[in-house]
Amino acid sequence: MTKSRNLFLVPYLAWMVLFVVAPIVLIAYYSLFDVDGRFTFDNYTKFLSPVYLQMTLNSFWYALLITVFSLLVAYPTAYFLTRTKHKSLWLLLIIVPSWINLLLKAYAFIGIFGTYGFANKVLELAGIGTKQILFTDFSFVFVSVYIFIPFMILPVYNALDELNPSLIYASRDLGASPWLTFRKVVFPLTLEGVKAGCQAVFIPALSLFMITRLIAGNRVITLGTAIEQHFLVTQDWGMGSAIAVVLIIAMAVIMILTGSGKRGALHGSQ
Amino acid sequence: MSHLEQQQPIIRFDRISKQYDDGTKVLNDVSFAIERGKFYTLLGPSGCGKTTILRLIAGFTESTQGDVFFQGKVINGVPAHERKVNTVFQDYALFPHLNVYENVAFGLRVKKWKKSDIDAKVKEALRFVNLNGYENREISEMSGGQRQRVAIARAIVNEPEVLLLDEPLSALDLKLRTEMQYELRELQRRLGITFIFVTHDQEEALALSDEIFVLDKGVIQQSGTPVDIYDEPINRFVADFIGESNIVGGTMIEDGVVRFAGKTFECVDRGFNPNESVEIVIRPEDLEITTPELGNLQAKVGSQLFRGVHYEISCNDDAGNEWLVHSTRKALVGQNIGLRFDPEAIHVMRIGETEEEFDKRLETYGEAGNAHD
Repeated sequence: MTKSRNLFLVPYLAWMVLFVVAPIVLIAYYSLFDVDGRFTFDNYTKFLSPVYLQMTLNSFWYALLITVFSLLVAYPTAYFLTRTKHKSLWLLLIIVPSWINLLLKAYAFIGIFGTYGFANKVLELAGIGTKQILFTDFSFVFVSVYIFIPFMILPVYNALDELNPSLIYASRDLGASPWLTFRKVVFPLTLEGVKAGCQAVFIPALSLFMITRLIAGNRVITLGTAIEQHFLVTQDWGMGSAIAVVLIIAMAVIMILTGSGKRGALHGSQ
Repeated sequence: MSHLEQQQPIIRFDRISKQYDDGTKVLNDVSFAIERGKFYTLLGPSGCGKTTILRLIAGFTESTQGDVFFQGKVINGVPAHERKVNTVFQDYALFPHLNVYENVAFGLRVKKWKKSDIDAKVKEALRFVNLNGYENREISEMSGGQRQRVAIARAIVNEPEVLLLDEPLSALDLKLRTEMQYELRELQRRLGITFIFVTHDQEEALALSDEIFVLDKGVIQQSGTPVDIYDEPINRFVADFIGESNIVGGTMIEDGVVRFAGKTFECVDRGFNPNESVEIVIRPEDLEITTPELGNLQAKVGSQLFRGVHYEISCNDDAGNEWLVHSTRKALVGQNIGLRFDPEAIHVMRIGETEEEFDKRLETYGEAGNAHD
């Protein structure tokens, strides 16, 4: 019994070792060498220079913006989804776009936001005139939010769907208006879903790189962009790895802080 | 004139109908009045419309037709949070992210009471339901019976005019349920407010209520005190739903004389047409087993179950009717016996009679019956 069960574990363990543990170990290893292959901690001291700190701040700032806007759009959407008749169908329609390749979507937005694109046509018709939309902070955040929204909607939707509707009745019964009911009952009870959604958006948003180039035209430089540049352009694998290590540690810290440690109180009542 | 004020109903339903979008009718032209300070029970099988009535009073749903009155004013469009009623929910619906104290304080916080006032009031409510000292407990740490009490405290702390209870005991085990029945009755007496209690459990309804509304298929079949409804059920449904009944078809020869099971009997019921087809109810505890010669009916014992307090004996008369008898004495299966009963034990029901007609007819001979007692 135990032997055969161990056998089933082999593919999983092999996968983990080859594609998760080994790369991380390799990155940590590379981060300790400079361009000429000498052992050094310079990469890390360089990271503490204003250039990289600014970049780090940038990354966190944009990731925060993307997360906040995703939440602002996703929460009401998820809320209304749980109240529609064919909720799983609507949910599917929202998830389907996330199956399309990221690159394709980015190119589609280049078309839409370009000088002769649909967005500018609309602006012209509205009498505002052509504007530079592509390669701006706005387009970067907009497209990122668009891409991440399904990842925010799903956990929030699940949390709302699990919410016992009689709690809402109870709140109304006790004199709370719909808004107060939302503030005092619905939102606190779906906080776990919101946290999960923020994690699912904030962490990948920290290391975005392709969109920064395609949509933001390298005007937004994040840690993700820096890693890509060091590996592919400057060939300074050591520095690239050092940034990656810092990013991995940052992500781990965020995950621990926002924690999946579910509070017992939230799941106690039947 | 306080007596007159007492008489004015606190809640009145005026020809309420409720239909869902898919066409199912849950309530059909329902009218009734709820008086101040009494314990009411809405009793009926699932799907009879009893919970819908509660939801209409609480403001969680709207009627398709008819008006709901509260203290003489129509409250059809008034949202739930502006109504002066509170509900104890079937699943208690306690807020899992708040502790016992905060659950009870919820309604008062919403009303922006002063902290010290809230504190005093919450403590008082918790003392009322014997939960003092549990303020800081999480809901998940409370047992079923305790949650029940928190739910009651959370409702009564708002001093509602009417407390709605939606099958609040159905999730408890038998022993706890009986205990809570006593507590609920006691609580209603102490608070002196109107309770409207929804249940499908007829024993619970009989034990707790001042007045019972028996519902079926979206219509109030009968309303009255537990004794009235038990002793004088209006139709087959009520007779069957409340307690156990023997129901047989028969003919009313004339007032006071009824014929069933191939024999003619004296009875106390009046107000029928000569030779009218009727249904006859005799409760199992009103039947007495005797020797065949002494019985009003002759029957043969078919089967017997021991129920603790009594034996439940099923027997068949010569005409083929089945009779259920509750007896403290044992019978022998296959034995020929006699069934004895008093004229007062016979209850005759007119088929398809409305509650109004039934009440009117009852009045014509009720006096005579009482004088006889």
